[in-house]
Amino acid sequence: MHDNVIDRSKDITLLEMLDRVLTKGVILTGDIVISVADIDLVYLGVKLMLSSVETMEQIKSGKIIKE
Amino acid sequence: MKLLIYALLLIKNSLEETNEILAGCDTSDKNLQIIAIDKIGAIVGNFEGDLIADKAKAIEFAKEIEVLSNQFTLLPVRFGSLMVSTEAILDLLNKNSKEIQNNLLHVENRYEFGLKVMCDSSALKSSLVENSGLVVNSSHAKNLENPNSVYRNWLEDKLKEHRLEELVLNYVDTVIKEITEAIEILGATAKFKKMVSEKTIIDAVFLLAKDQKNEMVDTIIQFQKKYINLMFILTGPWPPYNFVELTLK
Repeated sequence: MHDNVIDRSKDITLLEMLDRVLTKGVILTGDIVISVADIDLVYLGVKLMLSSVETMEQIKSGKIIKE
Repeated sequence: MKLLIYALLLIKNSLEETNEILAGCDTSDKNLQIIAIDKIGAIVGNFEGDLIADKAKAIEFAKEIEVLSNQFTLLPVRFGSLMVSTEAILDLLNKNSKEIQNNLLHVENRYEFGLKVMCDSSALKSSLVENSGLVVNSSHAKNLENPNSVYRNWLEDKLKEHRLEELVLNYVDTVIKEITEAIEILGATAKFKKMVSEKTIIDAVFLLAKDQKNEMVDTIIQFQKKYINLMFILTGPWPPYNFVELTLK
């Protein structure tokens, strides 16, 4: 019976997973930077943003999920 | 060689024991290691070259975190966080130890669940209008003799549109209130977004004790039975992505 509520569809799970891993969690810096202060942090914000946009486009076109 | 950070974790036992548990995790061939100070640490993997953030790598990263979250209390780190050395990570942990520890204690032994509530927007609006007695499709014929009728009709349409939006929002607020009351009994905390799109009227995340998982599922089943015109989609359990409030400096 639980299966009726916990949706195990690949598409929804994938979408939820990508949303979390790309936009949530601990942030090591708020900005797109190559180096922060003295800790030599490399954060690939631009590439991530591109990836998120790609995901959004797929959602819009219905390739990932149609609501 | 850079270090890709997967998660921050609470070290409950000794670092040796924690490393042994990590070695037993099914994290494919990542050769993950823990860099730690006191009771907090970072799970990292070696990384060479440039990280191209495509979907496959993001999914792989998420799966590693999921495996790790089954063994440890952790804070997932956003995909793509690379640092150049162990010393840099130790410095990061040291500078932010209090905030990291507070966040870890907040999510300890807890799961995250996601809930999307969807609807057929037109059907929902029609049903709400019917139940409220709001007249949406009134005739404009009575205004035809009035030279200003086009403006009046426009205004009336706008007002009706506004009232319809109010009806939907009130309905969504009612559902959110009921869900909040129900999950409070389970000791869960929640974050809600409403009207995310025309069809997704509620997008919520919950943080609750791991032993309350079945109760949460049952609660959502009851809501689905009550609101037959809505679709409740519960996903999880997830690592606590949405309950981390931490920007490391």
